[in-house]
Amino acid sequence: MSGRSLNISRFLTVRAAIVAVLLLVVAVLPLFVTGTDARYVLKVLTFVGINVLIVTGLALLFGYAGQVSLGHAAFYGLGAYASAYVTATLGMPWFVGLAAAIAVTALGGLALAVPSLRLRGHYLAMATLGFGEIMRIVFVEASSITGGPDGFSGIPLPSLGSFVFATPQSIYWLVWGVAALAIMISYNIVSGRPGRSMRALHGSELGAMASGVDLVGLKVRVFVISAVFAGVAGSLYAATVGFVSPSTFTFHFSVVLVAMAVLGGTRSLAGPAAAAILLTLVSFPDIVLPGLSRDILAVVQDWEVDIYALVIILVVLFLPEGIAGAGRRVLGLLRRGVVEPSGSDSGTGQRGDEA
Amino acid sequence: MSLLEVREVTRRFGGLTAVDNVSFNVPEGEICAVIGPNGAGKSTLFNCLTGFDSPDAGTVTFAGRELVGMRPDRVVRAGVARTFQNTQLFEEMSARENVMVGCHAKTRAGFVSTALRLPWTVKEERLAAEDADRLLRLVGLEEWRDAPAADMPHGLRRLLEIARALATQPHLMLLDEPAAGLNNSETEALAHALYRIRDHGATLVVVEHDMGLVMEVSDQIVVLDRGCKIAEGPPRLIQKDPEVIRAYLGEEDPEDV
Amino acid sequence: MISSTGLFQGRHGKTVDTPELLQFALAGLKNGSIYALVALGFTIVYASTGVLNFAQGEFVMLGGMLSVWAYSTLGLPLPLAGLLGVLLTGLVGVIFELLAIRPRKDGDPLALIIITVGGSMLLSSLARHLFGPTEKALPRFSEGSVNIFGASLERQSLWIFGIAAVAVVLLTFMYSYTRLGKAMRACAIDRNAARLVGIEPRMMVTLSFGLAAILGGLAGLATTPLTQTAFNVGPSFGVKGFAAAILGGLGNPFAAVLGGLTLGLLESMSVAFISSTYKDAISLIILLLVLFVRPQGLFGGSSRQKV
Repeated sequence: MSGRSLNISRFLTVRAAIVAVLLLVVAVLPLFVTGTDARYVLKVLTFVGINVLIVTGLALLFGYAGQVSLGHAAFYGLGAYASAYVTATLGMPWFVGLAAAIAVTALGGLALAVPSLRLRGHYLAMATLGFGEIMRIVFVEASSITGGPDGFSGIPLPSLGSFVFATPQSIYWLVWGVAALAIMISYNIVSGRPGRSMRALHGSELGAMASGVDLVGLKVRVFVISAVFAGVAGSLYAATVGFVSPSTFTFHFSVVLVAMAVLGGTRSLAGPAAAAILLTLVSFPDIVLPGLSRDILAVVQDWEVDIYALVIILVVLFLPEGIAGAGRRVLGLLRRGVVEPSGSDSGTGQRGDEA
Repeated sequence: MSLLEVREVTRRFGGLTAVDNVSFNVPEGEICAVIGPNGAGKSTLFNCLTGFDSPDAGTVTFAGRELVGMRPDRVVRAGVARTFQNTQLFEEMSARENVMVGCHAKTRAGFVSTALRLPWTVKEERLAAEDADRLLRLVGLEEWRDAPAADMPHGLRRLLEIARALATQPHLMLLDEPAAGLNNSETEALAHALYRIRDHGATLVVVEHDMGLVMEVSDQIVVLDRGCKIAEGPPRLIQKDPEVIRAYLGEEDPEDV
Repeated sequence: MISSTGLFQGRHGKTVDTPELLQFALAGLKNGSIYALVALGFTIVYASTGVLNFAQGEFVMLGGMLSVWAYSTLGLPLPLAGLLGVLLTGLVGVIFELLAIRPRKDGDPLALIIITVGGSMLLSSLARHLFGPTEKALPRFSEGSVNIFGASLERQSLWIFGIAAVAVVLLTFMYSYTRLGKAMRACAIDRNAARLVGIEPRMMVTLSFGLAAILGGLAGLATTPLTQTAFNVGPSFGVKGFAAAILGGLGNPFAAVLGGLTLGLLESMSVAFISSTYKDAISLIILLLVLFVRPQGLFGGSSRQKV
């Protein structure tokens, strides 16, 4: 028993080391981005961080709790417009805009989740799709607040007190800092009691109810958290880009987010984050391969949607466990040397030993 | 006083009356069996007792509280746990995690406190894990602790579901055909587990087809046929009851032979 | 993408007299007939697989696009081009099922939802590559309009009514009297029982996708002369068709038709009496209301949730 605990803690140390290295890489990356297009590269990497943030929320909702949302772009948009309105139109500090984004998306999530409680599977998917489209129409039509189809411009940069996140580096750090915080919060949630009930909900609704899990409260909470993550991402997006328009918050983008969550795999946070990075970079291949010719770049961008769509179909058909599943298999092989096989990688089963 | 009082419970599906005006009492500390041929309405009755279905008429009183109209998870919190005829386990989760889900009713770490990893949530989590391990030992599944439920053999899955139900610390447990699909030695083990559970202070209601098990463990038997209660009493009287014999002989169910 | 396809021109702000009301009603029924065809496609696939095909709207887009292609690029006469367009759409439906649905043998609904969503995206994007990003038009089957009690109705609308009616009649005939239709119904009721009497359920699923695609293709062919079409109109038709199907009660073909007509009427009346600003939101709001309040639909029987 004590030998086993020792092995597990060694394994956890390895994991902690991996996480630390990854954090360090993300943190110091801007320092190595130099040259003429540094600004552009950092902008794209910031955008990657924003997507990681949204997809982390979707991983909770879809990957852990098994609830589909085809309307997450709407929450992203709600957060962006709320933040833009408060900072640009009302002239309040970014922090207040962020708070407004959180409040509005929490309310939006509540407004969608509560009546959707009875809905499952494709009905829930349709309801979220409908909600997303209605919100998009609102973004277009409520032009006195949103600027209508032309969009909303002149949104101030994010700031905290007197410090303005003006350089691409500081914006990058801000976004990735928030994303890392969201992942950490999510990790705590999924490895504790709420996460267990989410996986139970995914596994068997009847079984979860018979175990005393309050499904109503659980579904609403997960939905709201997931919506708020997207809302925070929206606030960051609005402030860092300075301009928002309805064409960003489409059904299409909701599907791209689902593609990231699906490719990432269920019951994982790292998988969806990796998928968000990968699929976001598909749109910007010149970041990964700097020497890429303009023609190839144009072709890739032309076929970007097809790539997303194919990824969705092929992953669901042939790699249903996604990146996380593949990762688990690799980890399982590594682990065999360190510790005997164990149920899942999220670590809940080992909590007792870890403490 | 009876722990569970079922009064005139009726449940109709369209023209079919699945449960017809059924009443019975379950005294504290006893094992009560509900038996009857297939389609007698046993599972529907169970659903009505546990909030998964609501009867069209009648009341279900547990320790003085009305259960009809209560959500299933509230029924569990009130102290009534159940298992299912088709086990409803969380396949991807380990045996231990399955049982830990059962601890939900008695633990309280929410999203915020867990996200902040407050010290008490960590402690609560550890206690829940210890609880789960204890219950796995109680039903004899300690070796399967870290295996996903999906990998467990059929008979053991039923025991795991019982352990999960026990984790809710119920005063009353309703087991829906716990012996279905078990071989003789597994049934034997189940009977012992049932005694142990009762000795731990839980009252049991068991829907069962295995007559040997029913006659062995139950203090009281309620017999349903086509939704109606046709007999009630201790095993030795039920065995001789002409109505019961007719109900069973009249409908030889090929699936159960 | 919803607003990119105006399905009819609203004239709001005026007082509504009787001929004008009739005008709105006819416009509503015309759109409703299109929705009904799409709703029927949802219903057929749902009956055979238990899943919603989120790519259903793309069949409408393809029906229009392929007909335009056959007419303009191949230079076929209009009736032949339409026929080819619809049949090719049916073929796409079959191929889609074979390549994307069938390999997922467990039929997990969540997986199939996501596959069909991906399929929807893929089909529209491929259409953009093949036919370009611009709007496409088709000549009307008959020019001019007829006068009905003071309301004028384009002859093309008559074609839409006719095509929808013929499709519904043929479908009813097929389901009631042909071996194939009976086999499909048998599969929808009980797969295993159907297999026992020698029906291959997988085959029926494939056929149901083909049939649903043909219905969508017909809708696309019929509506393109009036509204034009483009690679990105699919989701809009899909959502409205689904709203119609759920409004009627998913799983019942007659309810789907009634749902389609009702939705069309509700939409055009809301334009007549309320405002055209949020016209596209109307069917979405109806969709959400039905889902939240009465998921079994207006014309579906009451269904209690089963444990």
